[in-house]
Amino acid sequence: MQTLPLEQQVTFKGSSEGLRLLLPPDLSWEEVMQQLQQRLDAGERLWSGGFRVILECQDRLTDAPQLEQVAQLLTSYQLTLGKVTTSRRQTAVAAAVAGLNVEQQTPAVPVLMPWAEPLYLQQTVRSGVLVKHPATVIILGDVNPGAEVHARGDIMVWGKLRGLAHAGSDGNDRALIFALHLAPMQLRIAEYLARAPEGAPSDRPEVAYVRDENIHIALAADFRMARGRS
Amino acid sequence: MSGKVFVITSGKGGVGKTTTSANLGMALAAQGRSVALVDADFGLRNLDLLLGLENRIVYNILDVLNGECRLDQALVRDKRQPKLALLPAAQTRDKNSITPAQTRDITSQLAESFEYVLVDCPAGIEQGFKNAIAGAQKAIVVTTPEVSAVRDADRVIGLLEAAGIKDTELIVNRLRPQMVKENNMMSVEDVLEILAIKLLGVVPEDEKVIVTTNRGDPIVLSETPPPAGQAFLNIARRLQGEHVPLMNLEGPPPGLWDRLLSLIRGTK
Repeated sequence: MQTLPLEQQVTFKGSSEGLRLLLPPDLSWEEVMQQLQQRLDAGERLWSGGFRVILECQDRLTDAPQLEQVAQLLTSYQLTLGKVTTSRRQTAVAAAVAGLNVEQQTPAVPVLMPWAEPLYLQQTVRSGVLVKHPATVIILGDVNPGAEVHARGDIMVWGKLRGLAHAGSDGNDRALIFALHLAPMQLRIAEYLARAPEGAPSDRPEVAYVRDENIHIALAADFRMARGRS
Repeated sequence: MSGKVFVITSGKGGVGKTTTSANLGMALAAQGRSVALVDADFGLRNLDLLLGLENRIVYNILDVLNGECRLDQALVRDKRQPKLALLPAAQTRDKNSITPAQTRDITSQLAESFEYVLVDCPAGIEQGFKNAIAGAQKAIVVTTPEVSAVRDADRVIGLLEAAGIKDTELIVNRLRPQMVKENNMMSVEDVLEILAIKLLGVVPEDEKVIVTTNRGDPIVLSETPPPAGQAFLNIARRLQGEHVPLMNLEGPPPGLWDRLLSLIRGTK
C-alpha cells in the first residue's frame, strides 16, 4: 500500500466514544472512498463487533449522497455510523437531512488520541509488570513469566512470550497473539482462555487465534492456511 | 574521593544476600580496598552476625540520622580487616523509620571516604527495598537456581530499572553442578535466559558456608578457601574491573582413557 502524508489519509482512531473516522480535507471523493475501503479491508479484524463510528468530516464539504455512501460501506463491515462531526454548515445540514446525528464544531485541530496507536515497546517485560493498552501491542523483547500484557488489539512479541497475554481484551475474538517463541503461562483472546500447551514449545514463530470457540496455535508460516481467508 | 555504591538485592529471602554482602565486603577489603558495608535490613539485621561484629555495635544508622553521633562513630571497624567497616541497621525499629533520601545521603557520605559502599538490602520490594536501592549506582542481584527465586529476581530487576538503576549484574548462588547435570536444577544458562543481565559470578552450594556463617567468619577468610570462597574472591576481583574467567564447577573434563572407553561403547 502506498504511504501518503497524514493530511492525505483516511484514518481511524479509537476513542472512548467509538471509532473516529477522519476524512482528509483535500482529496477527491473517489480517493477517499478507495482509501476507506482499503482501511476497512486491512483493519477489519480489529473492529468487528458493531463498533460505533464517528465520522469526522472536519473542514471537508460532504453532501448527503456521499454521507449515505460512507454509511452503507460501514454497514457492510458491521460498523454503524453513529455521528457526524463537521465544521461546515452545509455538511451539517446534509447529515441532518440524511437522518444522521450531527455535531457542528468550530474549526479546530482535532485532538489525537495517542493511546489508540499501537504501543511499541523495546524492552524485556519482567515479572510483575502489567502492560495494558487499548490497541495493538508490539514488544521487541521477551515477556517473562509473571508479566501480563493486555491489548484490545493484537499482541506481537518479537521474542519469547512466557507470561500472560490477553489479546482482544474488550471481546474481539479475531485478535491474534504472535510470538517468535510461544511458551506462555496463559493465553487469552477475548473471553477465551488457554493454558500453556503441554510439552516443549516449538522453537519456531507461532500464532494463537480463536476458531470454533477455542484458542488454536499454528506455526506462523502455516497460519494463513490454517486460518483461511474467509 | 568518590567511591562506588552497590546494592545487593534479590527480592526473595534466603537466597544469600547477606552472606554475599559479608563475603564480598571481606574479599574486597582483603584485596586492599576500603569498604563500608551498610545493613539496610532494619528490624531484621544479620550482617553484623555474619561478620562476627555483633558485640561491638554501639550506634546505628538511626543514631547518625538523629544526630546522636557522627557517622564515623557509628562505623564498626572489622577486627580482622581494618579496611572494612560496618554501618549497622537499627534492630529495634522498622523499615519505615528511614527514608530513601536519608539512605542516599548516608551512602554518598560514605562514598567520600570508602572506595566501595555495599548496601545489604532486605528481602521484599516494599519500603525497605526502596530505602536500600536509593543512592546505588549499581545493583548486584543474587538468585538461587530455583524458579521462585528467579521469578522474584526478575521482578526486582524490573523495579531497579524503573528506579533508574540500569546497571545490574547477577550472582547465581548455591548452584549444585551435579543436580544441574542430572537435569534436576536450573542451569546458569536457564537462569540467564530469563533474566538476561550480565553474569557477575556463580557460587556453588557449600556446607562450609553455613559453618563459617554461624561462626561469624566469612568463608573468604579461610586459609585455603573452598570453591564457594574462591567464587566470592573472584567476584570481588571482577567488581574491581579485572577479567576473571568463571570457575569450572563441573569437575575435570573426561580424560583420554574415559573418552576412549566411551568411543568403544559407542556413547558420547
